[in-house]
Amino acid sequence: MLSKNKWLSVLSVLAVLAVLGALALVIFYAPLELTMGLPQKIFYFHVSSAWLGMVSFFVAAIGGILYLARGKEVYDSLSLAGVELGLLFSVLGTVTGMLWARPVWNTYWTWDPRLTTMTIMGFTYLGYLLLRRAIDSPTRAARLGAIYAIVGFVSVPLTFFSARLLRTIHPTIFGNTGEKMVMTSPMYQTMAASIVAFTLLFVVLLWHRVRLEMAQRMLESEPEEGTAKHQVAKFDARGEEQ
Amino acid sequence: MRQYMASLWALIKKDLIQEWRSKDIISAMLAFAVLTLFIFNYALSLSPQAQASIATGIVWVLVVFAGTLGINRSFSAEQDQGCFDALLLGSPDLSLVYLAKMLSNFLIMALLALFLLPVYSLLYNYSLFNGLFVGLILLGAWAYSAMATLLAGLSVQTRMRDMLLPVLLFPLLIPVNIAVVKAGAGILEGLPFADISIWFTLLAAYAVIITTISSMVFEYVIKE
Repeated sequence: MLSKNKWLSVLSVLAVLAVLGALALVIFYAPLELTMGLPQKIFYFHVSSAWLGMVSFFVAAIGGILYLARGKEVYDSLSLAGVELGLLFSVLGTVTGMLWARPVWNTYWTWDPRLTTMTIMGFTYLGYLLLRRAIDSPTRAARLGAIYAIVGFVSVPLTFFSARLLRTIHPTIFGNTGEKMVMTSPMYQTMAASIVAFTLLFVVLLWHRVRLEMAQRMLESEPEEGTAKHQVAKFDARGEEQ
Repeated sequence: MRQYMASLWALIKKDLIQEWRSKDIISAMLAFAVLTLFIFNYALSLSPQAQASIATGIVWVLVVFAGTLGINRSFSAEQDQGCFDALLLGSPDLSLVYLAKMLSNFLIMALLALFLLPVYSLLYNYSLFNGLFVGLILLGAWAYSAMATLLAGLSVQTRMRDMLLPVLLFPLLIPVNIAVVKAGAGILEGLPFADISIWFTLLAAYAVIITTISSMVFEYVIKE
């Protein structure tokens, strides 16, 4: 069985502290933005979530490639964990973005390339999870999931590029306030701290999720000959026969 | 190389003969496309004035929806009758199986598109017959079949089958949709080619990248 990992425990505590620290920085240290005021403070966690939404896609694709090349289950677990966290963070990124957009752009949604790409990315993650759910055999789920993670990762930059190209030809009505925002150094520091804290959180969650997945598979797999678990299984089988 | 092309052609011919004998897929696709056009006509109150801006959009949506209907079935014979095993035994290179299926899907899509263009032009008295426009639709159909064929190979092996393909396919198809619709509108509005060439480049890049990756990973789609 998987034993407790000391490093992971330490890292988990650190990640929680880091996120709390980043939150404190956002609330107390980062200055109020001149035109947008308080709602702008969501920016720090928004950017961090969006960043991790993209990182997860990379993790999922790398996991997929390694699984196809080496066939080890741990790579498949990595890919799956990447997708699940990717869905979480891209939803977080989209929702925080919408909450920020409402007071600042006066609308929850614009067809901005970043918003569109982030949402499409979320749908791709969702497709991956639906694909796996619809397959009974675990090895087949791993194989087909890996392929989908790879093509999904390739298509996302193209989606962003085409959505962006669309905008350069058709100017949008709502200005890109976010990009023109002038940032002072406390704001940069807070942003850097949030990104580091969220990335740490991401690594910890990813690690936990991979371990959980591996533990679950070990429980579900056929017990090996001679182990205590195997003997229990044999005993149970005999009980059922009688 | 000659051997490769010969095997490729044999596999394509198999698909086309199979389709030619039953005509199941193509007839369902054509009927579906025309009926969807009728739905659009009433849902969007299409008028001759609005044509230039939305004609490409309508035609492309018909191609995508009807295409999904057809491509969904493209691996069902292999799956249901155990032909995957035969292909595994008989093919020297598994990328062939993908390329052949992709090309036969492309041919069916092209047929569908070449049927839809005159129908649309006839119904709306608005000519879509423009060499560049036809070329665009064909390039789009290639990009589309490259992605859809791979994903049909995935979805056919699941419990949900037909239901899953659109969910997997549509998010990854966004670049193709944007490029075809934008370039098509540009062509119909008579913009110079220099203004829209970027969309052609994007489509070609998408098609080449996806075709390459799919032929590389396809052996993992069918090899247990």
